[in-house]
Amino acid sequence: MENQIPAAVQLTENCAHCNTQAKPEDTFCTQCGYPLKGTEAEQNIFISERQVEEIDMFTYNKTLKQAGTTLYYLAGVFILSGLVYFFMHKDEEDVVAVVITDLIMAAMFLVLGAYSKKKPLACLISGLSLYVIVQLLNAIVDPISIARGIIIKIVIIGYMIKGIKSAMEIEKIRKEKHIA
Amino acid sequence: MLSEQHQATEAVHCIQCGASNAVNVKFCSNCGYRQEDPAIDETAHNWQLLKQAALFYGVYIVVCALSSFVDYFKTVGWFLVVEIIGAGTAVLFFTYNWNDYKKQLRWPSFSWQKLAAYGSIAMASNLLIHYISSWINIIIFSRDYYYYSIFAGMPGAAYLIIFFTAITPALFEELGFRGYLLQSLLNIADTGQAVFISAFLFGIIHLNFVSLFWLIPFALFLGYVRVKENTIWYGVFFHFCFNLTACLFELL
Repeated sequence: MENQIPAAVQLTENCAHCNTQAKPEDTFCTQCGYPLKGTEAEQNIFISERQVEEIDMFTYNKTLKQAGTTLYYLAGVFILSGLVYFFMHKDEEDVVAVVITDLIMAAMFLVLGAYSKKKPLACLISGLSLYVIVQLLNAIVDPISIARGIIIKIVIIGYMIKGIKSAMEIEKIRKEKHIA
Repeated sequence: MLSEQHQATEAVHCIQCGASNAVNVKFCSNCGYRQEDPAIDETAHNWQLLKQAALFYGVYIVVCALSSFVDYFKTVGWFLVVEIIGAGTAVLFFTYNWNDYKKQLRWPSFSWQKLAAYGSIAMASNLLIHYISSWINIIIFSRDYYYYSIFAGMPGAAYLIIFFTAITPALFEELGFRGYLLQSLLNIADTGQAVFISAFLFGIIHLNFVSLFWLIPFALFLGYVRVKENTIWYGVFFHFCFNLTACLFELL
């Protein structure tokens, strides 16, 4: 219906999508790309595409949150294994060194988890690298250890890789929209 | 004010249809094409860069882990092989991206004062770390002790030790981690995150938990210097002075 209104009248208005003032000669909004002179169908397609982008943003944020939770989970695993080791090997000489190492690891994963909302890329890449190194060192000391809980390990790594990918997508969408 | 007006009247041509637009538009007023092209479709490219960086880091992890935890590799021959693989990886990945990365090899604002300043900061911080470490009674250079034992009794051992603890790490670690890795990360993340990631990865690759307390700040500083000065050479010199001080401590 609005399409029937002569172009000259419509053009003095603001963009229907982002409310930026449009110049009479503009076919598209220069701020958001909305087809000012397009048909209703074109305008609807534009709006639905933007909504899809928002839904994408929602899924990306969800995977990001899962990856952050994975970091917390790892911190918990290290605290737990430190405690278990302490009570099983109480009398051995190197027990303190092992427990302290476990606690330092747990602390690092906790910090990375806590900052994963603010700086997702940095925390997830660091966390993933740390996890892979620990697994590799375990495998060198005890080759069978790599097979232990392999499914959980793959799931953990998968979550973090998906998180890194989502963080990059979010960064891209932010750049496009110029929300710094 | 005058420059703003000047900018507003200046026109740019749409990268898609060639129609002229005002400078600050995000979409072409004629065809609706997005004008800030650098951000678009970069994710695929960035993912590629990240995978490449992961491969680089993977090689380093495997080599470092094997050489420091498997006794079989603790011989002079394997030591040289490890050094060559490390240096080769850094050079290979850097030259693979040569066109985008070569400008860090320039030294645009060379100054003796800065060089001297970085050198003295390096030596001072090494002294500080040395005293803190001996105070809390921790062996920080466990890997370097292993260097000393490997070369002990060889002719010119002191020179070999200086070469392998001060010169080659300064050159190739800087080229690999500050030259290649940090530059890749700068394309992917913002500056702060990129510097942090490169520092964290550099810290944990040394596979020594206790050293992390100084390795990460050390690498953060090097990353910051690399970004600020836009050249890897101040970092190389800083790293060289730092390692040399540590080395002289052991030799003298």
